Amino acid sequence: MGEGTIVVKELDSGFKYRVTEEPGGEHLMRCYACGTCTASCPVRSIDESFNPRKIIRMAILGMKDEVLKSDFVWLCSTCYICQERCPQDVVITELMNALKNIAVKEGIIHPGYVAQATEIGKFGRLYEIDDFANKKREKMGLPQLKSEGKDIQTIYKSTGVDNYIAKPEEEE
Amino acid sequence: MSRIGVFVCHCGLNIAGTVDVEKAARLISNYPGVIYATDYVYMCSDPGQDMIKEVVKEKKLDGIVVAACSPTMHEVTFRNTVASVGLNPYRCEIANIREQCSWVHQNNKEIATEKAVQIIEATVEKLKLDKSLVPLSIPITKKALVIGGGIAGIQASLDIADSGYEVVLVEKNQSIGGHMLQLSETFPTLDCPQCIATPKMVQVGQHPKIKLLAYSEVEEVFGYVGNFKVKIRRKASFVDWDKCTGCGLCIEKCPVKVLSEFDEFLAKRKAIYTLFPQAVPNKPVIDSNNCLYFTKGKCRACEKNCSVEAINFEQKDSFIEEDVGAIIVATGYDLMDKAEIGEYGYGKYEDVIDGLQAERVLAPAGPTNGIPYRPSDGKIPKEVVFIQCVGSRDPEHYYPYCSKVCCMYTVKQAMLYKHAVPDGQAYVFYMDIRCNGKGYEEFLQRGIEEDRILYIRGRVSKIFKDGDKIEVWGADTLTGRKIEISADMVVLAMAMIPSQGVKKLAEKLRLATDEYGFLTEAHPKLRPVESLTAGCFLAGAAQAPKDIPEAVAQASGAASKVLSLFSQDVFYHEPIIGSVDEEVCVGCGNCVSICAYDAVELDLATKVAKVNPALCEGCGACSAACPSGAMQQNNFSKRQIFEMVDAFAKGS
Repeated sequence: MGEGTIVVKELDSGFKYRVTEEPGGEHLMRCYACGTCTASCPVRSIDESFNPRKIIRMAILGMKDEVLKSDFVWLCSTCYICQERCPQDVVITELMNALKNIAVKEGIIHPGYVAQATEIGKFGRLYEIDDFANKKREKMGLPQLKSEGKDIQTIYKSTGVDNYIAKPEEEE
Repeated sequence: MSRIGVFVCHCGLNIAGTVDVEKAARLISNYPGVIYATDYVYMCSDPGQDMIKEVVKEKKLDGIVVAACSPTMHEVTFRNTVASVGLNPYRCEIANIREQCSWVHQNNKEIATEKAVQIIEATVEKLKLDKSLVPLSIPITKKALVIGGGIAGIQASLDIADSGYEVVLVEKNQSIGGHMLQLSETFPTLDCPQCIATPKMVQVGQHPKIKLLAYSEVEEVFGYVGNFKVKIRRKASFVDWDKCTGCGLCIEKCPVKVLSEFDEFLAKRKAIYTLFPQAVPNKPVIDSNNCLYFTKGKCRACEKNCSVEAINFEQKDSFIEEDVGAIIVATGYDLMDKAEIGEYGYGKYEDVIDGLQAERVLAPAGPTNGIPYRPSDGKIPKEVVFIQCVGSRDPEHYYPYCSKVCCMYTVKQAMLYKHAVPDGQAYVFYMDIRCNGKGYEEFLQRGIEEDRILYIRGRVSKIFKDGDKIEVWGADTLTGRKIEISADMVVLAMAMIPSQGVKKLAEKLRLATDEYGFLTEAHPKLRPVESLTAGCFLAGAAQAPKDIPEAVAQASGAASKVLSLFSQDVFYHEPIIGSVDEEVCVGCGNCVSICAYDAVELDLATKVAKVNPALCEGCGACSAACPSGAMQQNNFSKRQIFEMVDAFAKGS
């Protein structure tokens, strides 16, 4: 999160409308900045820069790029504590999902997500199944697994996910 | 020989925790003149009072001392107690052994007990010389004066008049209605203020018990509760209102156009004008500073066109006198002078306006029919910045108090702006948001959620012009960053201050004001509508910034105080007042000049001081100032005070 001057004419003043139209973001404007979410956030207790109140504030002000690119929106662990405690029912966890959905439509995806999706596309799961794992499964009487991404690729194609992950793959 | 009883109160542990109350009672029972003494856990309780009554009767006491809390707490209680069994209430004295003894000597029981006994002894000495006084009864003129015809004055007048008493309502402008009539809509219901206030105005105009003196000011006030004599200046309107039919032709024909005060200088009016179409009374006045006849000696268009010959250029101010029994001061507020805040560009930039100007701009019946054209070029502003706490909550530069209504009217104005310009954006800079009335917080949330007003927590540091934009630089403390907004119009929520001239009026009425000129109530919690001058009551924003419901509630409260005064034929006044020994008085006049209540005067014939018992508040300043001892306070005579001092001196 940058710390420079906020120049309102450079912001997207319509951003708040867009967020409130996105499922999960409807209650954005209810926030009165009490900070209950920030005080409750377990990630925040480890990393000071994780601040749901501030993200909501920036979204209201129209700081679209900073919000969509911020680590917080993407790395929120979705523990739901903030959502449970929010006195204004801003439904913060859902709001973070709404922000992620908007970000994806804008072509902004956190590299961590791209890496995960790429892995799944390759192996059908988050990691490659190696011989060691299969040997262990055999011992335990479990069926063998294949590292196989074909079906996933089909899903990616039909849902359009491949559009988002194609680029980083090329970069590799 | 006196037959005095002493009753020592424990006040739970408030007194008994520090003072050995049993010992104090035992010691005092041997004091000369005391024939009975006891202690009890709560003297003010019903059993405590019953015990006092029993003892007074049984022992045939001729006076009692209650050693307890401050006399401001329960003096009245115990005086009523003894009066109910036939003892003169002024033969009951309070020895304060709580605030002046137990509470301040909590670490030393022995010394506290000794001091308590001394306080009681001194009080017994005073009691021995107390006279059996009788309260003064003062006849009451059952007619009220209400000063100020805003919503508070209107409400108070109607409440009193509807109860059958006559009211004289004095208003300095040519119509009643006050600031409320200037407003766009009212929070939190968005009622149209004209719709809800004009019926009340008409009621005032039509009420057989209300004498409405518009375009008038209170000149002088004499007298005291129940018996005020008020001189009222009827300012020259240059229109004979008895003849005038209010047809408005004179206004139409007047060739002069000047900026309208009612429209907060955003529109023009004529030199002969009424404030607004629903004015009560609906009669015009001529502004002699701008009228062509008065300035250049010609024109007379109004006179030529008046079919009833109501125009009278020769009219002079006139004076009338009214006798009233009670006065309600409802003189309202003004906004602080905007020119004082240079950094916000008021006066330099036309599109920086204040709260009342914003009301006129947004008022459906205002000069722009509610469409917020900006003053400089008539464009519709797309970005409007509202700034709260301008002058308020700034003890270093302006006023330390909160003006109380700005948070709410800013939400309302931002909301109305958004209703008029749906694709516009309203920003509000705030320090705190104080929306603490019924339905107020919900109104704020509605403004934020439905009308997407952007609230920015922080102060604006600078406003300057950049092309046709007004650059607003401030801080957004919620992101911790500086913020810059290119606005088309800026609205300043200026501090509310008492209306002009209230200080002078307060002097005439002998009312106290705080350092900003707001009228001071008799007690901030328990006597909020009374002043310290008996018979004068306060209503509305003259006492402190307040919104319409609060002003109306206080007005009704003040009216009910007047009505309870009027429910009696006479008013009983405390007899503990100054009195003059005419044999001793040399007529030096010290007492006259020191009296804060104008209660003492020199009798021209006998050359001695005379106390007006109804005006005297019993402060004792005159008796302290009297060099010869001629002026003495009833039951606080010099001899009594010396006896008390002696009693203390003996003890030590």
